[in-house]
Formats: sequence, C-alpha cells, structure tokens
Amino acid sequence: MTSNPLPLNLSRSGGCTLTGALSVTTRVRNTVTIVHGPKGCTHHNFSLLHATNLDNDRVTIPDLISTGLSECDIIFGGEGALERTLDAAAKRDVSTVFVLSTCIADTIGDDVAAVCRKDRGVPVVPVPTGGFLGGTFQNGVNNALTAIADLAESCPKAWCVNIIGEKNLEYEVEENFKEVTRLLAALGIPVNLRFVRDCSMADIHGLGAARLNILRDEDLHEVGERLRLRFGTPFISSFPAGLAGTIGFLESVADNFGVKSLRAVREEKVLQEAILREFDDISGTEISFDPSVLDSDTFRLACEVAEGIGITIDRDGCRVPAEISPPVGTAGVRRMLHRWRRAIHA
Amino acid sequence: MPECENPLWPCAMTGAAACLAGFEDITVVIHGSSGCYFYPATLLPVPLHGTFILENEVIFGSEQRLHEVLDGLVGKAEKIAVVMTCIPAILGEDVRSMLKSYDVILVDSPGFSGDVETGYKKALSVLAPSVDPDRHGINIDGACLFDPFSRGNVREIVRLLGCASVPVGTVFCSDRFECAGHAAAYTVGTNMDFASGVGSLLGGTLGLEEISTTFSRIASVCPEADISPVDREIEREEERIVRACDKYLRRFDPPQAVIFSGFSYAAFAARILEHYLDADILYVGSRNEPGTLPFPCGHVKGFSHVTSLIRKFNPDLVLGSSFERSMDSMQAFVGLTPPLRGIVKLAPHSVAGITGTLSFIENVLNACMDRKK
Repeated sequence: MTSNPLPLNLSRSGGCTLTGALSVTTRVRNTVTIVHGPKGCTHHNFSLLHATNLDNDRVTIPDLISTGLSECDIIFGGEGALERTLDAAAKRDVSTVFVLSTCIADTIGDDVAAVCRKDRGVPVVPVPTGGFLGGTFQNGVNNALTAIADLAESCPKAWCVNIIGEKNLEYEVEENFKEVTRLLAALGIPVNLRFVRDCSMADIHGLGAARLNILRDEDLHEVGERLRLRFGTPFISSFPAGLAGTIGFLESVADNFGVKSLRAVREEKVLQEAILREFDDISGTEISFDPSVLDSDTFRLACEVAEGIGITIDRDGCRVPAEISPPVGTAGVRRMLHRWRRAIHA
Repeated sequence: MPECENPLWPCAMTGAAACLAGFEDITVVIHGSSGCYFYPATLLPVPLHGTFILENEVIFGSEQRLHEVLDGLVGKAEKIAVVMTCIPAILGEDVRSMLKSYDVILVDSPGFSGDVETGYKKALSVLAPSVDPDRHGINIDGACLFDPFSRGNVREIVRLLGCASVPVGTVFCSDRFECAGHAAAYTVGTNMDFASGVGSLLGGTLGLEEISTTFSRIASVCPEADISPVDREIEREEERIVRACDKYLRRFDPPQAVIFSGFSYAAFAARILEHYLDADILYVGSRNEPGTLPFPCGHVKGFSHVTSLIRKFNPDLVLGSSFERSMDSMQAFVGLTPPLRGIVKLAPHSVAGITGTLSFIENVLNACMDRKK
C-alpha cells in the first residue's frame, strides 16, 4: 500500500467498517444485506467480496442491495430511499435483512435505526457501520458479530466449541480452520458453529450451546466477552500460533473441557520435530523480514521457528515473506517454511 | 428505481483515478477514507496514494491532512493529482483554495456523481488535452487502466502502426502528462467507452473489418504510411479465423450468446460472433448507456438483472466478467469485461487489433468446445 498515514494513528489504514461488517453478514445464508449509501460503495464491496470468494474457490455471489443514494438524496436526506429498499427487500424470501450504513449516510445524518424499527414481517437487523466514521474494518466485523449474536437465545450446553470471527477475507481461511479442527479432533472435541461462516440463522440460534469459544484473534476480545456474559461461555483469545503456541492451545482447550492432553501434546511435538527436520537444508542460512512485521506476533513466531531449525535472523539476510497475521498451528509453520525455502533458493 | 442489487459498475471516483493514473508521471492521491482507497488500489495495476481521512477531519476539516500527504509527495512525484471522494465533496470545504500553494491537478469526481466513465471523462477534461499541429503521428484512444485489456490493446495498436510505418502520437490515457497537451491531429480508437474526443477520429480497431477501414483512412491522411503489411496480415489471419470457425460449425450448432460488457466491447463481440460463427445474439447487456445495435440490447446495472436474463434466454455462451462466470450454470464462458477476478492474468492480452480478434475467437471456440466435452 502506498500511503502516508500519521504514525500515531493506525486507524487510517484500518479499512472500512462497512467492508468489515459485510465480510460477516454476507456469510449468513438466506439473508440479504442493504447498504445505505451511493451505489459505488456497494459495487466496491461486492467486487472485493467476489474476488476473495473466488480466491477461496467459492463462486457464490454475495446478496447486496444498494439504496443508490444520489446527489439529490444527499441534499434532502436518504431515509426515503432506505424505506423503499427495505420494503422491497422484505418481500423477498429471506430469513433476515441486515442494514448497513455508510460514511455518507452517517454524515448527512440519516436515522437508519429508526427506519429499521418498522415491522416488515421479517427480522431487520441494523449493524452500526459508518464507513470510516464507524471506526476500522475490525470494528465493522465486531459490530456485525455482536448484532447477530444478539439474535440467539440461551440453550443447553453440549460437548463442542464454537469458532468465532474467522477472517472471511483471508486467503487461507479454510486451511486455518482445518488446522484448528485437526487439533480439536486430537482431543475428541467437535466444532458446533463457525460464527459466522456459511451458517444459517437457525444454526446461529445454537450459538450458546458450546462449552468454549475459540476466537480467531485477540481483536475479537470484546465479542468474546459479550458472548461470555450472554451465554456464560469462556473463550480462548486466538487461534494457535507457533510451535509452542500450538502446544499451549491444546493444553488450554483440554483444561477447559477437563480432559487429558498428554497424548495429543506428545503426538503434536513429534509432528513438529519431523517438520523441522524436513527443512534441514536451510539450516545455517541467514534471513531477514520486512520491517513492517518486526513488532508483530509473526516476528516472534518466526524467531522461535528460526531458532528451532538453526537459521539466523540478520538485517542483511535473505528477505523472506511474512504476513502480519502469524501462521496458524503446526501446518501454518510448515507452509511458512516452504515460502522461506523458496525465497532462500530464489 | 434508484436502488440496485449488486451493482456491477464502479463509481466516478474510480474512473477519475483510472484516467489520471494511466499517465506515468502523474501521482494520484485519493482524498477520502481508506475504504474508498482500497477498491481502486486493488483494481488498478499502479501505485495509488491516499489521505485516509478520519472522523476528526470530517469535523475539523481535512486541510491539514491533505497538506501532510502532499508535503510527503512534493519533490518525489513529477505531477500530483488529487481525486475527491464522496465525503470531502459533501463537506463543503474549498479544497481548491486549500491547494493553492501546490502545483496539483484537482478532480472533483465523487462516487455519487456517476459511473466509471463519468469520472474518466471528468478527469480527462481537467487535464485539458489538445492537438498540437506540429505533432506527427496517430493518437491511440480508449486506454483505461480499469480495462484489463488496455495494456494489450495499446501494445497491439502500437505494433500495427509500426507495421504501417506510422509514428504513435499521444496514447490516451497511457502516456506522459505533457503529451496530453501535444496530441496529434488524428486518432484511432480501442475501447471507445473511454474515448478522449481529442483529434479527428479515424475509426476503431475492434474487429478486422474495422481495422481495415481505419487503416485505409490512416493511409489517406498520412502520406508516409504504408498499410500494405497490415492489409496482408488481416487477410492471412482472417483466413485462419474462417477456417477454425468453419471447422467448429461442421460439428456444432452456432453459439446462442448473451453478452455483458461495456457497450464498445459488447458491440464488437456481437458483430464478430455473428460474422464468423453465425451466432444467435440473444441479448446484449451493456454495463453503460447502450447505443444502437441490430440485436436485442439494454442497460444492465445489477447482478440480479444479469441472472434473470441468463435464465430467460438460456444461452450456451455467456460473455462477461467474473460476476457472470460465478453463476452456477453450464454455459461456456469467455471473460471480456472487468472485473476478471479469480484468474491469474500476467500477459498483456488485447481485444483491439488483429491479435485481439484472434484471441477473442480462440477463447470463444475453446470455451464452446470445452463445454461440449
């Protein structure tokens, strides 16, 4: 990204609240999302969601409707346009209508919540988003998860976990989920609900059934807290990252369920050692990272892995790729090492 | 109805950014939020800058932030252009006066002011392009970064002009900024949805017949031109096209096609399919305001309209963007329209020129034959 953000204000590059919320609401099946703003905002997000869906081998199209605010609506108010669009959407065969605002709607002062209160025979759920006025991409995600969670009722607990707040726009989202389920399976614990990834409103009513919520990352802390207060469900604050982090994850989940983790931990350590041996050929090399990741969890994890394999991290070393989000679990470390090897051999 | 289900075409701000960023020495700054920045940044294959304004600037004004970003670029960028997005446009700030101490181009093209073509034309008008009577050559028109075939189109027309010994004038909009004000007197088009209107238009380059006509006109206005190599190439390649299409028709019925694209490309595709494959053009859905065609045609703005047309006509060939490709259907598909997401595209493919027609027919035949397997 070529930009010039203020050094003290990271929210400048934090993305759009609307995009964050859409990454959640468009993953609830048989629902429609109204975007109250100019047509361009909806197209931009439609196109981005479409692109990331294709990256994840998912060819379905997100169901969005723009209120198509024009210059005239911006001068005289856009609530009429929202009314019309909501009335039309409510006639469709959908279980829920989500309504998201934009920075334009917020700036002109449309009362979105008031328009949504009218009974239209179908649940209408306004999600507080105001483009950049509502905060960042992550605020949009959190607001949408919270608004949807509020629709679920309490239910009896069962022997299962929920996965909370997967990054639906992440390229390797399915691989990360697969890794977490592999670790959970080693402890004999199934997943109840991916909240929210391709589930129905009926599935979401079972949100309170899990004995443990596993958050995708620490940015979802407020969502985890809200679910803890509402359903009494404790949470683990992030997916497993790094070799020791993965072992810690297994132990933590096992503790929550009161099961023994010794065997699962032993097997995971054997797997980790085997993976490190696979990369013996890059032992003794020197690597470096993009400075933008030097303060991140990825860097800390990379140091752990580099030490385990006998690689030195040095400013003048071969630049290897690294994402801001650390790779998930042991499988994530293995994929990271393949990319390091490719860079070292390039 | 102003509301639109899954709108298919980008906003004016994106069009303005696509126009300006096509000039290699113009650095484009999107004056707006990060959300407005990220979309053109993912779509246009060039670096863009942003002011990434926050709530604070909406309340207290964006002047300081704008200056901060521009100060970081002054001295590094040869020429800076600032594109306004919706929020700064409605704040009522006098951005022009904020920028008076900077040598920048300001384009007021907020998203709500129209579609991508509106913004493109607005930005181009701000650049005030003009003809320089001393400039030799032929301008190439309709190169827009939003169009994934733009780079290939320019390369192909530069090649064909070279074959005809004709120098290239200004390429709108893929050139240096100063060239906009020194255009040649004559122009040939590629994607005419993004026509500049600069110079006398000699014709387009979509389809062999159009190329042949246009190059005849070039010969009549450029005494140094020798178009015989182009004519020979057209004759040779057309024979190959006819042979391939004829072979296809020995085994298969002509395609029944529905086409979704900007009007310029859609009209080209319909003409070519009918001409070489005797195709039945069931419907042409134009992303922008359509012109006149001898086929059923309309302005298709939203994805639900696309799906209803495909269900209604049940074609065996669909041309469009990756939105159309995403429909769960059995039609053969050829990508002609942005966005073309979910595929790797590195080589400069063209729609214009002789190579463009060859490539188009090749894609259609392969898609149709793959579907029959």
